[in-house]
Amino acid sequence: MDPLIGMGVLALVGAVAAIAGYTEDLESVVGSQSNPNSQVQLAPQMKYPHRLFNKAISGEPLSNGLAAVIGAVIAVSLESFYDLSIITVIVIGSVAAMMIHMILATTSFFGRISSQSRFKQPIYLDVFKTNLPVIAAYAFMTTACILIICYLMTSYLEIWIPIPLLALILGITVGSIGSSVGDIQYGAERLYQNLEFGSGINAAYSGNIVRKAESGIRSGVDNSWFSSKFGGPTTGIAFAAVLFMTSWITVLFNPEWGNAVGWIGLIAGVLFILATILINRFLEKSARRNFGPYREEEKTEIVE
Amino acid sequence: MMNIILFLIASLLITLGGVLITISVHLIPVGGAPAAMAQATGVGTGTTQLAAGAGLTGLLVAVSVHLLSGDVLLSIILGGIGSAIMISIVMLISNIGYIYGIGIPLASGKAVRDPMTKDRQDIYVSKGTEGHGIPTAAFLSGIVGGIIGGIGGSLIYSVIYTVLHSQTDFVFSTPAALTISILLSISIYFINAVIASYNIGGTIEGYYDPKFKKLPKAIIVSAVMTFICGIMSLFIVIQQGGAL
Repeated sequence: MDPLIGMGVLALVGAVAAIAGYTEDLESVVGSQSNPNSQVQLAPQMKYPHRLFNKAISGEPLSNGLAAVIGAVIAVSLESFYDLSIITVIVIGSVAAMMIHMILATTSFFGRISSQSRFKQPIYLDVFKTNLPVIAAYAFMTTACILIICYLMTSYLEIWIPIPLLALILGITVGSIGSSVGDIQYGAERLYQNLEFGSGINAAYSGNIVRKAESGIRSGVDNSWFSSKFGGPTTGIAFAAVLFMTSWITVLFNPEWGNAVGWIGLIAGVLFILATILINRFLEKSARRNFGPYREEEKTEIVE
Repeated sequence: MMNIILFLIASLLITLGGVLITISVHLIPVGGAPAAMAQATGVGTGTTQLAAGAGLTGLLVAVSVHLLSGDVLLSIILGGIGSAIMISIVMLISNIGYIYGIGIPLASGKAVRDPMTKDRQDIYVSKGTEGHGIPTAAFLSGIVGGIIGGIGGSLIYSVIYTVLHSQTDFVFSTPAALTISILLSISIYFINAVIASYNIGGTIEGYYDPKFKKLPKAIIVSAVMTFICGIMSLFIVIQQGGAL
C-alpha cells in the first residue's frame, strides 16, 4: 500500500467518522437514550411530567452495534447476490437498519412512557410523530457513515476483517464514545439549565429537569438543537480522532515493511499518549486557575 | 489431535488475557450514569461499555498489525497501545466537555489530594456531588488500564487464531478464521468486563479508589470463569478446524 494513498483514505475515514459521531450523539439526545435517560425516566416520579422522547433501547454501544451489523449484513448480501454498486447497497442496508431502529424506538417509547401512567405521565402522540423521523434520519446517517468507513478500511487500508464484523466493532466503538463524551453536555447542562452554570448537578435536584423550551414546551428536537453546538461536534472529533490515530500508526509505520518499522509505530503511539497526558494536565490547571475553588481552603490540617 | 500440553498452555494464556481485562476495568476511571450529570468522577458511561469500546479498538489495531506483519508479539503490544489511545482521547475530550461545556474544574471525590500531582481536590468538588471530570491520577490510571486491557484482548485473539491456524486439516479461509477468533475474544472480553463491573458496583476512580482493594476477588472469579470459557472456545476452534 502506498503510504500517501493510505493517508488520503485515512483523512476521508476521519471526515466520515466525524459525521458518524456527530449524528450518533444527536440521535441519542433526541431520544434521550444513554445515561441522562435516568433523569428523564425519574422526572415523572418526582412529579415533573414532561414532553421528552424517552427511549432506552439498550446501552448506546449495543444499539449502534446492532444497527451497524444489520446494515452491513444486508449491504454485503446484496453486493454478493446482485450486481449493485457499493453506494446503492450502503443506502439500502442503512434504510433497513433504520427501519429496525425505528421499530425498537417505537416499542421502547410506548413501553417506557406507559409504565409511568401511575405517575400521571401522558403519552403525547404529537411528540412521537415529530421526534421519530428525526431519530430515524440520524440513525440512517450513523449507519451509512459506519458502512462507508468499513468499505474504505477493507478496500484500501488492507484490514480484511469481514465487513459485518468490522461494522459491529465500529458500531460498538462509536456508541461507547457517544455515550461517554457527548452526553455530558446534555445530562449536566441542557437538562438542568435552571441551575446555576458552573457546577455539577446536586443529587438533591435529580429528576427536576427543565421542561420549557426557548419557545413553547421542550421536546427531544429542542435538545438536539442545543447539543448540535457542542456535544455532537465533540463526539464527532473524538470518534474521528480515535479512528485516525489508531490507524495512523499502522499506515505511516506499516509493519508490512519490517518489524522495526512496526516498533517505530509503537513509539509514535506512546508519544501521542504522552501528549494527551500533558494537554490534560494543562487543561486541569487552567480550569482550576480560572474557575477557582467552590469553598475556601481551611487552615486546619487535612485528615487523610 | 492437538497436543494436550499445547492445549493447556493455550487455555492458560486465554485465562491470563481474561485476568488482564478484569484488572484493566478496575483501573479505568468510570463514573457511570452519575458522571453524565457531573455527579461523580470518571468517564460518564457504563464500565462495560467503555471497556468494550476501548478493547475493541485495541483488537482492531492488533488484528490489522497481525494481518500486515504476522508478528504476534508486536500485534499484542500495539493492541494495548491502540486501546490506550482510544481511552486517552475519550478522557481528554470528556474533560474538554466538563471544563468548557459545563464550566467545572476536574476534581476527585475519593481523595483529598491527587495522589500524582498533590493538588487539593475536596475544595473543588461542587456541592451535592462526588467529584467530576477526570483528574490527572485517574487519567494516568485509565491509560495504564487501557494498555493492560488491550493487551489482554489481543492476547486472547492471538491465541485462538494461532490454535485455529495450527490445525493440520485447516479448512477455513482467513476471513472465516478471523471472524471465529475475533467473535470468541469479544465474548470473553465482555464476560470479564461484566465480572469486574459487578465487583466495583459500576463506578471506580482508578487505582487509588478504596474499591480497588476488592481486585483479588475479581481476579479469582475471572480466572476460573475465563479458564472454563477458554477451554470451551478451544474445543469450538479445534472442532471447526476438523482435528478432533
